[in-house]
Amino acid sequence: MFKHLLAAAVLCGAVATSPASAQTSRIQVKGELVDTWCSVTGIMFAAGTAHHMCAVWCAVGGIPVSIKDEAGNYYMVLRIAEDDENASNPRFVKIMSHEVSVDGELVERDGTKYLFVTRVIDDQGVVNLTHEDNGIQPFGN
Amino acid sequence: MRKLLATAFAICSMSSTSHAAEAWGIEHEKLVEFSARVVDIACTLKNDCPPDCGGGKRLLGLMTEDGKLRTAVKASVDFAGAVNDLLPYCGKTIQVDGLLIENPAITMVMVQRMRERADQDWVKTEAFARNWEARNGKSDEWFRNDPLAKKVIAEDGVYGIKGLEPPKQ
Repeated sequence: MFKHLLAAAVLCGAVATSPASAQTSRIQVKGELVDTWCSVTGIMFAAGTAHHMCAVWCAVGGIPVSIKDEAGNYYMVLRIAEDDENASNPRFVKIMSHEVSVDGELVERDGTKYLFVTRVIDDQGVVNLTHEDNGIQPFGN
Repeated sequence: MRKLLATAFAICSMSSTSHAAEAWGIEHEKLVEFSARVVDIACTLKNDCPPDCGGGKRLLGLMTEDGKLRTAVKASVDFAGAVNDLLPYCGKTIQVDGLLIENPAITMVMVQRMRERADQDWVKTEAFARNWEARNGKSDEWFRNDPLAKKVIAEDGVYGIKGLEPPKQ
């Protein structure tokens, strides 16, 4: 019994400390796929239909893609299921601005939430209709 | 008076060259210059490590000397990240000049200039544009002429919804 407890404690310790200073948990996230730079900085109106074209450009350009939930949390996507390419990945480009629900593994480190998506539960497409109030950002065309 | 103006000019000149990074007026931004090792973020977090930091297909980060992982989100090129600039330095320590944005929701770095050693000139982070033009030809606005971006926007429209078009001008 003691041996089992000891082994479990060692395993737990290994999980908790590897990699250094990162915290890992399972999570379900629902939100919009955004280009992280524009959305966080607020330089342009970076949400929904008004910003869709810019979001596509940024994803092609290798700017990290995040899921932004209703509470304003950003989950930077580092993997979708077996697809571990996370820079300029055409799969990401094609679903920018979509509202998605995903299961995944959350790794928090140094102020950033990183998400390794294990399953896409739902993809509603683009549902955040912002263009009527904001036109096409950032250039108007 | 002339002495005072000369002194003020000298101080201003010093302060403008000590931080060449451009401020963007972003909330929570700080002008920073620091040394860091270039890392594949997924490799660092999950020990999932393809060769050569993923060869351009992985987001790259900067591991600072005090062990902080900073995601390199943006380079100097419009709508482009810093992967192309950092990739040749995978595993190496470089010096970075840019913006650190410590938003409560996320921490990230805009890399504006970089160099490998202090005795080298700073290099502006424009590798994405160079590499893109080598593949696609010269363009003032790479993003409007990128084949993948054009294809996705042609298929789904500028709003991302098939059939929903902006009003004709």
